[in-house]
Amino acid sequence: MSDNAPRRSHFLPRTRDGWTATIMFLALFLLAMPPMTHSVLNRTDPWILGLPFFYVALLAVYSVLILVLIWAFLRGV
Amino acid sequence: MDTWVVATGMIVSYLVLTIVLGIVANQRMTGDMEDFLLYGRKAGFVVLYLTVVASFHSSFAFLGSGGFFYTHGVGFWAAGAWTLLVGAITYVIGTRIWALGKAFGYMTPADMLADFYESEAVRVTVAVVSVVFTILYIQVQAQGLGYIINVASGERISFEAGTLILLIVAAVYLMAGGLRAVYWTDVLQGVWMYIAVWVGALVLSYELFGGPLELWRAVSEQRPDLLSLPGPKGFFTPGMWIGMTITLSFGIVFQPHMMIRYYTAVDSKTIKLLGATTPIYLMTLYIPAAMVGLGGALVMPGLVGAEADRIFPELLFAYTNPWLTGAILAGATAAAMSTLDSILHANMTVLTRDVYQRFIRPNESQSHYINVGRVIVVGLLIVGYLLSVGTFDYLVVLVTLSGAGALQLMPAILGVCFPGGRTLTRAGVVAGIAAGLVTLYVTLVVSPHPMGMHGGLWGLLVNAAVALNVSVFTTPPSAETIQRVHGEVERFVYGTED
Repeated sequence: MSDNAPRRSHFLPRTRDGWTATIMFLALFLLAMPPMTHSVLNRTDPWILGLPFFYVALLAVYSVLILVLIWAFLRGV
Repeated sequence: MDTWVVATGMIVSYLVLTIVLGIVANQRMTGDMEDFLLYGRKAGFVVLYLTVVASFHSSFAFLGSGGFFYTHGVGFWAAGAWTLLVGAITYVIGTRIWALGKAFGYMTPADMLADFYESEAVRVTVAVVSVVFTILYIQVQAQGLGYIINVASGERISFEAGTLILLIVAAVYLMAGGLRAVYWTDVLQGVWMYIAVWVGALVLSYELFGGPLELWRAVSEQRPDLLSLPGPKGFFTPGMWIGMTITLSFGIVFQPHMMIRYYTAVDSKTIKLLGATTPIYLMTLYIPAAMVGLGGALVMPGLVGAEADRIFPELLFAYTNPWLTGAILAGATAAAMSTLDSILHANMTVLTRDVYQRFIRPNESQSHYINVGRVIVVGLLIVGYLLSVGTFDYLVVLVTLSGAGALQLMPAILGVCFPGGRTLTRAGVVAGIAAGLVTLYVTLVVSPHPMGMHGGLWGLLVNAAVALNVSVFTTPPSAETIQRVHGEVERFVYGTED
């Protein structure tokens, strides 16, 4: 590269696995953000396994997000 | 035997153990600055994992999070979101920081930014931001330690004396063994604190409610306001949720004690595995914290402000047996000390490398700089102590303020680590950080969290806008530097030079 012209952006993935991991992570992460947290998830009923819905729903989202990160690692993203 | 004797005795035993580890680490030192400051860039997965999680989770997680659940309810479960983001940031950005550190010998965040933006003004700005805002973090840990030993001793050891004793112990093993001592003690501390929080919370839940599920049911019946957003005091608005998530993920990762950890990894795969798996530890530590805070709100109501941060030790002291209380409070001590020693080390590194070596005595021996670093630790210890006993606030508030400051480095760091798009300039970076800090002052101190959005996020938005706009009109780094640094990132990530 002979000047400071922009390179191919690193903000966008360049592989199929990269795109999959990025979209999965962002989509799931949005579930753990407003407005979801303050509307759809913001209730205690139904209780799931003896725990309030809000708590369990977020725990499930967080757990799947961890799985996405581990999947990305295993796929060499 | 009295509870306070057992509890204090176990904490003292734990402190002796950390000093022994520091002395053993000292025997392994090579006298090389990189060995003292960066563990010789040889940290493997297990050591790095435990030091990262132990440094991330501090008295803030052990005490402050319980206090926050106690006061504001289940909204603090947002903590899970920011721990996930920490994993992703480590995975994506941490690996790039590692690659650049290895390629160009960076030791501090300022090393990397000053090199790319070709500016000593950037170096000084970053060093000052790093030190000033992480000193708040020293205050958080020191206050946590003061609380713990004060409670453990049944108030026979004052908050001030407890803070001083524990600060001195951390400084002693850091000065003796450098980052190796910090990492070794963090391994012990990381394991101990995790077990302690879980055991303490489960024992309390069975003791007080008959089990964790019964605890949640009791909260639902007696304090339903704690189980919904925005919480009893209306704190967790959407803007606060998003702001705390950004501030306590990017803002913590960009603090020098975390960034320096990336430099120390033995290889990039270690950092990626770290990113993929650290959220397991980080997120699941907030599960028992919720039990402690919410359960505490039922059985020990009335704690206000910073008092709420003491809910965990207060419950242990009141409702569990002395040995368990002692072991868990030693775990709380571990949580605070593992972060404290990391921050002392990071600030020592920044001040030694970016200020003393760069501007005061540039051509001294390695051992000279190591000894200067030790003197700096003593100075930091004094400043941290004075701040700790002089000002009081919620631990979480202090951590958020600290994270909000480090968050202002984000545009500059992204400019280095992500080729493509418009390159920021040194003037843009400095102007952006300055504008971000002024905005922080306004949105955190003068008029906290305008429009329900966290001040740290306001600071970041203004910072990024100013940095981008000023960069349009000012001189970018040389083409050679951009090619060298961004070329290295390109090679590392994609195996080509674009």
